[in-house]
Amino acid sequence: MTTSCVELLERETGAFVAVDLHRELKVADVVLAERSWSSKRADLMAALLKENVPRAQWPQSLHWDWRAKAPDLKLLEARGFGIHAESGSQGLMLTKNTRHVTRLKDDAGKPLVYVDFLETAPWNWSSEPLKVRGRFGRIGSLLFREAVLHSRDEGFHGRVGLHALPQSEAFYEGHFGLTRIGPDASKQGLVYLEFTRKQAEQFLKEGGG
Amino acid sequence: MKSADSKLLRYLPGAGSTAETRSVPVATSGLGASLYAAKRKDLSKTAVIRQALRRYQLIDARTALGEKLIFEDDKLQKKAEVMVL
Repeated sequence: MTTSCVELLERETGAFVAVDLHRELKVADVVLAERSWSSKRADLMAALLKENVPRAQWPQSLHWDWRAKAPDLKLLEARGFGIHAESGSQGLMLTKNTRHVTRLKDDAGKPLVYVDFLETAPWNWSSEPLKVRGRFGRIGSLLFREAVLHSRDEGFHGRVGLHALPQSEAFYEGHFGLTRIGPDASKQGLVYLEFTRKQAEQFLKEGGG
Repeated sequence: MKSADSKLLRYLPGAGSTAETRSVPVATSGLGASLYAAKRKDLSKTAVIRQALRRYQLIDARTALGEKLIFEDDKLQKKAEVMVL
């Protein structure tokens, strides 16, 4: 497994903490991560119910289960990325690099890395209604950067595509500057966004995230 | 593909970045096709072969699960099932 050291921001202290970034997660790694996350998901759901928080304000990936996504890692087109600290897995990303092509005009039809799923550990989620602050920040940024680098390494020139949950649209569009293509009827109406070759080059030039 | 239904995936070896170099005899026409694809898709020849292998595995896994591969043309209102043997 190829691994390197990256830094996460610990929100409480404002300190940067060195953690491992893995680029070739196996099925077992992802299953293990979900085992530790699922009890936290249940705790969070119980707290949201107790506080009568409207469903619209619940984290939209609360129902995800990475154990169901993990077998895809057996496919040659799939790649699993993860950030791991001593306290366990802090974030996961699953990418595919074969079945999706660029939709934007300039590079239409050319291959890209598709971010199938990206999620941070439930204890890193901030919730305004519950007045909780997630422990680590920067996880989404670091994982997205890996998707861009993976695309470059595959010869796809940094092109990346993804469908964003409504709560994440602003993150991808506003923070990274992905181009919004629009709602996709074939994917439950989720908004599809793309990072072009030019955007990727600029993103990496500026340090990436 | 619904992962939970993909029992076949259990038997696949899985992906990895460890690379080995192999020489494989390919007909001139096959080389020509890969060169054409490389140019059209803005890829290296190696990337074209890698993509071909990934696509082959994906189609093989899905058809082995009983799924069909279909080509559809909205403009011509045409739909054809591709027979994968």
